[in-house]
Amino acid sequence: MSQKISIRIDGELIHANSDQSILEAAHAHGKFIPSLCHMKGLTAVGACRLCIVEVAGVGRLLPACTTPVQDGMSVTTQSDKLRRYRKITLELLFAERNHVCAVCVSNGHCELQDLAQKLGVTSIRFPYTYPKVPVDLTHKKFTLDQNRCILCTRCVRVCTEVEGAHVWDVAGRGVGSRMVCELNRSWGESRYCTSCGKCVQSCPTGALAEKGFAVEEMTKRTEPISRLTDLRGANV
Amino acid sequence: MSKAKVATVWLDGCSGCHMSLLDIDETIIEVAKKAELVYGPLVDAQEFPEGVDVTLVEGAVSSQDDLKLVQKIRRRTKLLVSLGDCAVTSNVPSMRNGIPPKVLLERAYVQGADVNHRPPSDGVPGLLRHAVPVHEVVKVDLHVPGCPPKADAIGYVVMELLEGRKPDIAGKVKFG
Amino acid sequence: MRKITDLASFNDAREAGLAKLLPPVPRIAIGMGTCGSGNGAEAVYHAFADAINHRGLSIQLARTGCFGFCAAEPLVNVWIPGKPLVILQRVQPNDVPAILDDVAAGRVPSELALCRIDEWDHITGHVKYGSGLTEIPLWNEVPFFKGQKKIVLRNCGLISPGDIEEYLAVGGYQALYKALIDGNPASIIESIKAAKLRGRGGAGFQTGSKWEFLRKAQADQKYIICNADEGDPGAYMNRNEIESDPHSLIEGMIIGGYVMNATEGIIYVRAEYPLAVHRLQTAIQQAEECGLLGDNILGRGFNFRLQMVEGAGAFVCGEETALIRSLEGKAGRPTPRPPYPAQSGLYGKPTNINNVETWYNVPPIVVKGPAWFTETGSPKSPGTKVFSLVGKVTNTGLVEMPLGTPLKTFVYDVGGGGTGGRAVKAMQTGGPSGGCIPHEMFDTPVDYESLAQIGSIMGSGGMVVMDEDNCMVDVARYFVEFTHSESCGKCIPCRVGLDKSLYYLNRITHGKGTDADLAVLDELSRMIRDTSLCGLGQTAPNPVLTTMRHFRHEFEDHIRASRCRAGVCEDLALSPCENSCPLHMNIPRFLQLLKEDRLEDAFVSVVMDNPLPASTGRVCQHPCDDRCRRTGIDESVNMREVHRHIADAIYPTERFDEMAARVAAMRKPPTGKKCAIVGAGPTGLACAFYLSILGHEVMVYDSNPDAGGMLRYALPDYRLPKSVLDREVELIRRAGVQFTFNVKVPGDISLNDLDAQYDAVFLAIGTWKESWIYLPGTELAGVIPALPFLEAVAKQQPVPLGRRVAVIGGGNAAVDSARTALRLGSEVKIIYRRERKDMPAIPEETEAAEAEGAEIVFLATPHRIVGSADGRVTAIEAVRTRLGEYDASGRRRPIPTDEIVRFNCDTVILAVGETVDLDFAKASGLKIKENGLIEVDRYTLETSRSKFYAGGDLITGASNVSNAMGYGKKAARNIDKRLMGVKRWCEVFPQLEYDQAAPAHPSDSRRHHVQEVEAEERARTFAEATLGLATVEAMEEACRCLRCDVRNGDH
Repeated sequence: MSQKISIRIDGELIHANSDQSILEAAHAHGKFIPSLCHMKGLTAVGACRLCIVEVAGVGRLLPACTTPVQDGMSVTTQSDKLRRYRKITLELLFAERNHVCAVCVSNGHCELQDLAQKLGVTSIRFPYTYPKVPVDLTHKKFTLDQNRCILCTRCVRVCTEVEGAHVWDVAGRGVGSRMVCELNRSWGESRYCTSCGKCVQSCPTGALAEKGFAVEEMTKRTEPISRLTDLRGANV
Repeated sequence: MSKAKVATVWLDGCSGCHMSLLDIDETIIEVAKKAELVYGPLVDAQEFPEGVDVTLVEGAVSSQDDLKLVQKIRRRTKLLVSLGDCAVTSNVPSMRNGIPPKVLLERAYVQGADVNHRPPSDGVPGLLRHAVPVHEVVKVDLHVPGCPPKADAIGYVVMELLEGRKPDIAGKVKFG
Repeated sequence: MRKITDLASFNDAREAGLAKLLPPVPRIAIGMGTCGSGNGAEAVYHAFADAINHRGLSIQLARTGCFGFCAAEPLVNVWIPGKPLVILQRVQPNDVPAILDDVAAGRVPSELALCRIDEWDHITGHVKYGSGLTEIPLWNEVPFFKGQKKIVLRNCGLISPGDIEEYLAVGGYQALYKALIDGNPASIIESIKAAKLRGRGGAGFQTGSKWEFLRKAQADQKYIICNADEGDPGAYMNRNEIESDPHSLIEGMIIGGYVMNATEGIIYVRAEYPLAVHRLQTAIQQAEECGLLGDNILGRGFNFRLQMVEGAGAFVCGEETALIRSLEGKAGRPTPRPPYPAQSGLYGKPTNINNVETWYNVPPIVVKGPAWFTETGSPKSPGTKVFSLVGKVTNTGLVEMPLGTPLKTFVYDVGGGGTGGRAVKAMQTGGPSGGCIPHEMFDTPVDYESLAQIGSIMGSGGMVVMDEDNCMVDVARYFVEFTHSESCGKCIPCRVGLDKSLYYLNRITHGKGTDADLAVLDELSRMIRDTSLCGLGQTAPNPVLTTMRHFRHEFEDHIRASRCRAGVCEDLALSPCENSCPLHMNIPRFLQLLKEDRLEDAFVSVVMDNPLPASTGRVCQHPCDDRCRRTGIDESVNMREVHRHIADAIYPTERFDEMAARVAAMRKPPTGKKCAIVGAGPTGLACAFYLSILGHEVMVYDSNPDAGGMLRYALPDYRLPKSVLDREVELIRRAGVQFTFNVKVPGDISLNDLDAQYDAVFLAIGTWKESWIYLPGTELAGVIPALPFLEAVAKQQPVPLGRRVAVIGGGNAAVDSARTALRLGSEVKIIYRRERKDMPAIPEETEAAEAEGAEIVFLATPHRIVGSADGRVTAIEAVRTRLGEYDASGRRRPIPTDEIVRFNCDTVILAVGETVDLDFAKASGLKIKENGLIEVDRYTLETSRSKFYAGGDLITGASNVSNAMGYGKKAARNIDKRLMGVKRWCEVFPQLEYDQAAPAHPSDSRRHHVQEVEAEERARTFAEATLGLATVEAMEEACRCLRCDVRNGDH
């Protein structure tokens, strides 16, 4: 049973539901906490670690997306340490794959790019990895370019939890992790893909895109998916 | 009052950042009052001079020549600015990094050529294994990303530097 | 097997087991864990089985698990009725006949005996074996076992793991029986809570509280899981526990199931542990057959099923949420907590997960109660913990110690110190998730909080001991490489952060790191630690953070000097010998050149690496010997004596002029720069030689009338004849070096004068002041300090030496003084406060002194010198000491006893160490450190005054010739770089072509030791005491070299 409770976010008193996460409570009050793997309507997985916050009385940093609010909790979303760590996280993502913003379909509409600007990342201190990763253009409507993938698994979750097809998953481990379609089929040969495009719309970067879009043309819309899950009452 | 010595350099890039620099409109008058352009594609100087105050570097470090030049620039410059994505992230030049230079030259100059089936050898600097951002080879004092950076961002940065302040560009610029 | 349903059948099974454990005939049991089998226990078992069968002996043969002392495997337990159980060590198949002869005759074989056990406390039961055989030490008198308390390992190595009846015989399943009869699960949770049992997987959460969560959870199905996914490199506690005593685990889990109201148990065990898997399977089956597992256990209406699942070897599956996903058939990736497994675990049901060892603690607590448990260990962390003690330690094995025991007990008492008597540098606890603890912090008690405080963790119990041969940068790199490859890839800090950490660490080990890398690595490591999703990522940076904190100088050495002192990082060392040489001589090169019969090239190679090769060939401490890889076959190559041989083959001969000319011809064109060197000792000579070769004008100042410093005025002639030194100095002179003698700096020439006249100044005065100790009686006539004594002898001045001489000290100066006094006709005693192995003197010198008739009194601390009425020494009194605790240097501290010994003597030579003349340091106006030594930059040797450099003993305190010369060489390199603005150092060395292939057949001859003059003969004269190697011997030594410097690019 959900109860109304009070918490403080950056000193401001906020009323929240006891079944909400810190991130949900913050968003409900228009408070910004950066995140990339979180999407309203999908299970929170706590993977990107950008939404880490400080909670008074807790010695370690907690991810806002998977930490439930508790009555009387006092949350700090901005501190010097959090800012430094979040910048490192973003820089690591840029260094991991080949994010060439200038020639990306999502240039100008990319959550990773926006966040870098917002958090003041103007260069990457780590050496770039320049990995060779697959690009899958076999689907008739969509493209997968793993050069831009940040492994947030939003596509995996939206396909499993909302569409019910579970076409996507992650293969390999560590820096060798790659998106795979079904049991490593090319997307065009997928047996379960319904071509609904939910994965494309939920992808925060240009990794998943519609065909026929050139640089800067691909915009994403996650709201219809979230509205759908709201209506289903499947909001976990 | 003596003018500050400013240089610009064009490494592995498309010159778009220099175009954007030329787009600063009337700010150029203010800049000209305070600065003297001593080296770069826009002026006729053969050798990078000593004692430069500010150098704006466009482009990634892609070849042996780029590397030598940027190291020399670093030795002779007080403030080194990476201007634009190629200098900051290696951007488009880095898209060849997944392919070994030998294969790359083979593809471009042998398989892709109609005549003269051989990679250039004389008078052309050797490619580095990777095209890398400037700060991976020398210390960089300021990064101004963008492809290209917006003219007003460049104008702001240059004017601030000429005023002797460190420009705060966080949030004012973005990659791409 | 009969079902156990009531007390009567329980007791029947127990009796049957006891009859096997203590049969009426002798019993021989072989330790057959994986460790025993790996050492040949299988063959030993079959040898016993065949022989017993063949001879028709009435002996019971059994297989047990491991008793823990892995270094002494295979272990064999021999029990003859009425006598104690005797554990034999390192038993090989060919020992079997003799053992059986003894046993058949009713004797216990004592030659291989490790220890005896009169009676054993199995905690849940007690076994009396017998008495007698007191000549064999009791088990807990053996250093390895002393202080151990076996609660978890209570049955290991004593009962057969494959026989449930033997387990029952030692009180097994009694706790379960008690729990079911009492029928009060809540009270058991109270007991576990009161016992303050904490999770032994490493996190240390209160087990009782965890159990209570699950007990209170409401669900139609609950699970309990045993985490046996032990994956840390170097840790094998759980494997051994399961292999040796699987029923304790099963019993603990059944009790857990009963208490937490769960009917399904799962053991998640590594597939890489086939023996453990097999023994568990057998044990589960036996327990089911006996009615101890399955439906209606012991007829009390409780049902519990236990199954085993083999994990596929992902390290991250040790993380409980990943383990659960793996059990569900999904990829082993952790999920965030909350929800905790106790709320939503396996298949979304409430689940409890405990480590193997936690379950092992359950039956004893149930039987003996919490108060008994808290008697052991520390207040916050009661009980014991099993550790696997491995690495560079003499005794390796499984060690169960009370929590709160200090680390040094593990390393020095149980472990017996470093392998081969080497100094231990650090210990890594907790495997790749833990931190490196430097030996200075070995006082730290081993418990959850204390280890966490110093940046490490307890982890599941791995303890890896490291010595000087371990490079700490490489250690950090190794562990990060491991966690990097085991990262699941779900969260960014761990996935990409570790990838970049590894990049920086690799770069540093290749000698390409920068100071900025260290800062980035530090910040990145903190970020990974603080923001990662699961325990793997949160702890993975610990090895980096702790090594950077405690061993920062090693990182700096790699970055700033391209040096890896341990010689591990291949790119930074030519070969282990070169790396260990303070002068970094290219040893393989001169050996190879000699082997190619190119003596003159070999001489050039030697002399350009080391301008005093004949002197160092006689008196160097030869650290190269300790590092030579040939020791893996037999003994090290005698490198020092070979370069002495090469030098001796040129210096005294007519070829000298030609070779000196060849060296002088290598001098670079004059640079016009002038350098002054203060001190013509080995440090100054080395620096002068190289600066001159580099084309600078060099002037050496010394207060003595001739060059050589300590080599000339402190080393006795029998070690280094002056004629040898004279030739070496002559070569240096011909290389362009000029000397000004009988001049004192800063007395006759001030530092300002030097500053005005020269472009660079190198200060290299030695340690000419003898340390004085406070001792009643030092004012008496007949007490003399060692250095002035040796100097006077060297200068052939009269010395007032009595007939009976006592030397106080254990360094080279003490031994030199003793041997010199012997040659002057005195009787000599050396009094040293520690053990022989702690003596800083070169061991060969000590042995030579003893052979010549000097007596060494160890473990005695002088406490007063006795004098006669006229103020002359008549005797010295010393307090006998015994060895106490280990100090920070890893040596045992001498503790005074009440016993006082008195030696009559008329002369006492004090040789307790030399120090720098403080007056010089003060007068120099240079920045001085707290200990009075001059402060320099570690890497450039620059002092606080521009263009002044210092090296040798002046900055390190008393050291030895080769270390001192190493500083001189380093100073020359840095001075030249400063004077010329470019790096020209490598241009100094001759380009000599020589064979670059590892020898297909290195000589199999043994090491040739230097020939010595007979002790009696040499003790009467100051003529040289050693003769050097013969040509053929030197050549053979060169052929023994394995050429570790050859890189064939195969790897």
